[in-house]
Amino acid sequence: MPNDELQDSLAEKRWLTALAKGDTSALGGLYELYGERIFRYTFRMLGNRSDAEDATAETFLRVLRRASELRADGAFRTWIFRIARNLCIDKLRQHKLLELPADAHYSGGEERSTLRITVQQALKDLPTEYRDPLVLCDLEDMPAREAAEVLKISVPALKSRLYRGRRALRDKLGGTLEMRK
Amino acid sequence: MTETYKKLVDLYAGHELTDELNAELESASLADPELAADMASLRLTVDALKSTPEPEFTEESYQRILMKVYARGVEMQQRSPDPAHLQYYLPIQG
Repeated sequence: MPNDELQDSLAEKRWLTALAKGDTSALGGLYELYGERIFRYTFRMLGNRSDAEDATAETFLRVLRRASELRADGAFRTWIFRIARNLCIDKLRQHKLLELPADAHYSGGEERSTLRITVQQALKDLPTEYRDPLVLCDLEDMPAREAAEVLKISVPALKSRLYRGRRALRDKLGGTLEMRK
Repeated sequence: MTETYKKLVDLYAGHELTDELNAELESASLADPELAADMASLRLTVDALKSTPEPEFTEESYQRILMKVYARGVEMQQRSPDPAHLQYYLPIQG
């Protein structure tokens, strides 16, 4: 395990143990470790900054509320992503968000930016069943086994959704990809 | 296109095939335009998706999330500020 990951893993165990004992200040430590990843994930699921900030804050509040269930056994990452994912699903159901993320930061030339916005838009238009594995596996680089645990499905089911999701994304992008050739 | 080829294309698009199978599929695609188009467009899709930039976790977002949690009666420990000697550039005298 690389040194940074080892340090993070030790810090995670320390914060989880403290939180399970009722030390609420440990939540800040977990926010330092996971805040950015949870924000990124929720942003990609919801498509805008404001909802992603709400979902991230709520995720950490739920971690605190369910602190008695915490175990420092390495499954925390899967657990917190599952909480964040459930919140995103709730939000999507509530608002049926359809607009483009107006405040997304894109880089590169105009053509590439257009393509990226289109990818983002196409991803957002996919059913959650397909968007989930694409965000976790292709964007967050989460191993298939872990992503399957987050989604509470088997690894073969995850792979099947991932592959179907990629094909669905291609169909949505249609001619846009021609620009890249 | 057969179901087997479709599965192989899925793996090809995600760069998950062994070099041997990769070469075999590419060779098969030379005689099959439908297969070639499927391979190219799906790989392009995956590459475009993976090159999408990460949403930026700005200091403002970091603080707003802390505030939202604080507003619900929970104080999360904040980042310790940089030590004073790192906050300002002090010209070396002499």
